[in-house]
Amino acid sequence: MTSARKPGKQCPISFNHESADHARRWVEEFDEIRSKCPLAWTESHGGYWVVTRYRDIVEMAQNPHCFSSRKTIDQATGESCGGASIPSVPGQIGIPDETDSPEWDGYRSFLNRRFAPKAVEERRARTERFAAALIDRVIEKGHFDIIDDLTNPLPAIATMDIFGLPLSEWNDFAEPLHRLMYLPKEEPGFIEAAGRLQWMRERIEELVIERRKNPKDDLVTYLGTGEINGRKLDDETIWSMAFNILLGGVDTTTALTSNVLIYFCRNPDKKKLFLDDKDAASVAREEFVRYFSPIHGIARTATTDVDFNGQKIEKGDRIYLAYAAANHDPEVFGDPGTVNLDRFPNRHIGFGAGKHRCLGSFQARMMFETMIHEVLTRMPDYQIDESRMKPYPSVSVVNGWISLPATFTPGAKVGAPPL
Amino acid sequence: MKVRVKHEVCVGHAMCVLACPELFRLSDEDGHAVVKDEQVPPHLQDAVEQAVRGCPEGAIETA
Repeated sequence: MTSARKPGKQCPISFNHESADHARRWVEEFDEIRSKCPLAWTESHGGYWVVTRYRDIVEMAQNPHCFSSRKTIDQATGESCGGASIPSVPGQIGIPDETDSPEWDGYRSFLNRRFAPKAVEERRARTERFAAALIDRVIEKGHFDIIDDLTNPLPAIATMDIFGLPLSEWNDFAEPLHRLMYLPKEEPGFIEAAGRLQWMRERIEELVIERRKNPKDDLVTYLGTGEINGRKLDDETIWSMAFNILLGGVDTTTALTSNVLIYFCRNPDKKKLFLDDKDAASVAREEFVRYFSPIHGIARTATTDVDFNGQKIEKGDRIYLAYAAANHDPEVFGDPGTVNLDRFPNRHIGFGAGKHRCLGSFQARMMFETMIHEVLTRMPDYQIDESRMKPYPSVSVVNGWISLPATFTPGAKVGAPPL
Repeated sequence: MKVRVKHEVCVGHAMCVLACPELFRLSDEDGHAVVKDEQVPPHLQDAVEQAVRGCPEGAIETA
């Protein structure tokens, strides 16, 4: 079937996923775009397609041949092209998330086992001790900041532990990564945080050298001594994988858990079910991922001209797959704007779709459960000071919070091994 | 009823295990779904249909 296509990008919209406006009203904005222009074009950030319909996003995510994840860096200028975010994070490629097949296959299967459910379960007890130690630090005071004291440090410490990095250095990694997630890219704080990546790289390279001499059962040893297709990983690949895992591990579960602690504060009658019924808690957990969609979206690049829904996507076009919009698509989810803790089945794509789907989802779920359990059992009456809640100014990368001060009836330390 | 996982499509959302842990488990290697027994007893047919509907990739197939 052929028909004359109108020239130019149809369905132009004024949209910027990094804007404060979007952060404030993303559910409504996605609803508007999805109903008027399910495949829309915005001129922001050099121009990109905005895909907001669940079925279109899944279709594109399942077609990596046409919709590529690959990022390239111009060695001379450092300028980056393509990749998982719009605009591209400069100077750094994430492996495996910013690669395509055939390289992707080797990279992803190299990492899978360390993040598979069995490996994650083996880390649960340790993670619970980390959470207990973090709460021990504040439990006698009667007040804390949910972000600074728990939901930011716990995933960072757990991720450092997976690597085999000294836990005492967790904030040297977490703090700049946290800033990279929510600060606009022109801000000095963002640029400074991007500069800290060099320090992180050197730190990991130092540890790789040490582990090659004294191997342990940790990720740094595995990165430094493991092989893909019979070959050891070069330094660039080691750092790119570490970067991908750090980015994935450090802010996303923070955002989910923080949002859910706000939810339980506002809906205290839901706490008991979450604590008493493990199956109900698992169903509720997935509904939280759907509703809050911590990673709002991911980018792709068209590898060829392609007709999609009556529009012409051109080779090289950047495309924003709005996972959060998919998770609120009324075609798939009844009453999507309501948190329904009984929602089942729940085919959300909060962890992505297609083969690039989140490597760390089992780890994320386990850390989330640990933190929620710790707060609900040791601080059952916690109250967030709503007047002092500070959200991220942008949800473009992660839908999260800067600060959530809370009070609670003081309790006793449990004596978890200090961090 | 028989059930199978299309391995080339499964990416490890694990919704099937939530729906029917009796018949689905997750691989230690990559967290992808594995059918424990392809024969679905009558009392689990509803749960398996939930697994089919709950898979974002459409990786669960019944016959």
